[in-house]
Amino acid sequence: MSSETTVAVAIDAGDLPMGGGLMALVRPALQLLEPGGVLAVNSCYDNLQDDLSVWCKVKQHEYLGNEPTPVAVEVTGAADKSNIPTQRTIRHLIRRSDLSVPKGKRETDMRLSASDGKLSAEAVLSAVPMPDSADPRSGFAPRGAQVEPGGPRYPFDLLDRDHVAPPEVAKLYDQAVESQWDGNRDIPWSKLPTHAPGLERAIGQVFTFLAENELSALYVPSRFVSRIHPAYAEVAMYLSTQMADEARHIDVFLKRARSGGAGLGVSSVTTSQSLLSLLEVADFTEAAFLLSVLGEGTFLDLLRFIEDHAPDDVTAEVVSRARNDEARHVHFGLVHVRHALAHDAGLYQRLENAVRRRAATMAGAGGVPEPLQDGLTILAAGSTSPRDVARGHDDFRQLLDEMHINRIKRLEHAGFTSEQATTLSELHTPNFM
Amino acid sequence: MPTDSTILLGAVAYDPKVVAIWEGIRDYFNDAGAPFDFVLFSNYERQVKALLAGHVDIAWNTPLAHVRVQHHTKGGSLSLGMRDSDQDFHSRLIVRTDSGIAGPEDLAGKRLAVGSADSTQARILPLHFLKEAGADLTAVDLVRFDTDVGKHGDTGVSELHVLDALRNGDADAGTVGDLIWVMEQTAGHIDTSLLQSVWTSPPFDHCMFDALPDLDTGKIDRFTSALFAMTWDNPEHRRLLELEGLKQWMPPREEGYDSLRAAVADQGYAL
Repeated sequence: MSSETTVAVAIDAGDLPMGGGLMALVRPALQLLEPGGVLAVNSCYDNLQDDLSVWCKVKQHEYLGNEPTPVAVEVTGAADKSNIPTQRTIRHLIRRSDLSVPKGKRETDMRLSASDGKLSAEAVLSAVPMPDSADPRSGFAPRGAQVEPGGPRYPFDLLDRDHVAPPEVAKLYDQAVESQWDGNRDIPWSKLPTHAPGLERAIGQVFTFLAENELSALYVPSRFVSRIHPAYAEVAMYLSTQMADEARHIDVFLKRARSGGAGLGVSSVTTSQSLLSLLEVADFTEAAFLLSVLGEGTFLDLLRFIEDHAPDDVTAEVVSRARNDEARHVHFGLVHVRHALAHDAGLYQRLENAVRRRAATMAGAGGVPEPLQDGLTILAAGSTSPRDVARGHDDFRQLLDEMHINRIKRLEHAGFTSEQATTLSELHTPNFM
Repeated sequence: MPTDSTILLGAVAYDPKVVAIWEGIRDYFNDAGAPFDFVLFSNYERQVKALLAGHVDIAWNTPLAHVRVQHHTKGGSLSLGMRDSDQDFHSRLIVRTDSGIAGPEDLAGKRLAVGSADSTQARILPLHFLKEAGADLTAVDLVRFDTDVGKHGDTGVSELHVLDALRNGDADAGTVGDLIWVMEQTAGHIDTSLLQSVWTSPPFDHCMFDALPDLDTGKIDRFTSALFAMTWDNPEHRRLLELEGLKQWMPPREEGYDSLRAAVADQGYAL
């Protein structure tokens, strides 16, 4: 060792032994150095060189040696600091290895500041933008962390920002968190009136259908969360809110079905076939398109229909709250698909193919599941009297027309031509979701 | 000696991870164009016999097994490589801070915990070096931890027993390798107000790949080429290197075993 060696960082290690906290000073100090940079450890602990040199060997750092130093060091527990310079101190020099140097630069001057007392995920995303693509070897390292090389490859396969993360995702996450509600407390359950058995059975059937479809809306995103690279964590975080929403919807829909005396209705094969064809979609963007743009988009019209015809405030409140959540899900689906379409010219055709494939699996399934048709008709009628039922039937037919028109609007909004939108809307599942 | 082109290596199964290590290295060697397989032994004595009998091409040996192979081949055996971490090992004398022991000369009349009878770093060499440093071992009460005999101290278990004995007050001083001492400290397992190192032995070297003098030169070339091509920055290699406790394979050197040869001769250790 030469006293001429240029020291980049020096630390006061006092009389700390290696097993007594010394490494909590040495290791972070080395992290501050570039490979090849030299750390000076000023210590008055006897024989530290034997331990430090072994540790350096294990970690592939170079122990350059030691020399007496006039530097004063802090002695643990010394009450009178003025006595410290009388301690014999040794300066140990360590050259940082070029192995295991974390990738990326350490975040510096990262001071997120609150706006109106709030610190949003959107502000974080703005400060730490997502990369164009992500390395599966960085594992669960948060975006912005330095990552040691040599980590295992994770099974993430959604690695491309433009197919995974629309720019609006953090804002939608913020909105979702702020909009959470409590299906236990926030619904006026005690105000539910008693309805005629025929009407209540219809309501039980409608909510059975809603809960079944929301179960699929809970499971479908869950299949993609574990595939999303954590560099795009806001997408997984957003989807977790969407899943929490669906969990709450399942909860309140089943509670409503079971609160009026009728209980649950029938699960139809048409619904089951349709939801399986959705669950089996392996592509994230295709699934978002089928679930959120087409499925949940159509559900917005359905929930509005139920709310408009709800015979009581409890039923109306349940679907109204669910519809607010679903509107956010549709929004995410739209921005996701639109962002992906803008960066992938072949995606239009793939999405159309996905709709056609799904329609093919549903061939021969018939129209809207019969138990649901009947339930919605009686709900709209408000009773089982033939005159009311005739009106309810008209309302139901009108609902189907509205769903078609609004689907076309959403598809056009997502970037499809009018002709494409019409074709895709007509091919959409009769199960709505 | 195996006659096909496959390099057959012997290693001792001192830990379940040994299977993962050598299966990984086998796959790597085969992919690197060096056909390779391995057999596991339960102890180094059996492995050395198998090497000397030509049942395996190469043995991954502890220093004691290395010295034994050299003894039986009259110095003609081939040393093919070692880990960076095998070079410049030391033994330590760890004492209880309340023992009054400041160095080897203070050991007389004290209880000295030592590792397994065949542990180079925790028994054979520290006793050799302590004697050289002036300790009167005839006046020392040895507390022996003969665990995992046959594994030559690879498991590290006897060294942990030595440290436990010191913590529990069952010994006043103890000998361990410096790797265990430093790793136990950095892991936060040592109360430094209770235990401290007061003496460090001269350096010595540890494990070595040994082969008989007549090993096929093609096998030697293929083995060493593939071995030294492993790099820390390759994630697949790194996984194996980490398991085996090294960052870089090194060319062999012999001077690091001189002290062990002297120690086994002095202690009458049967080779």
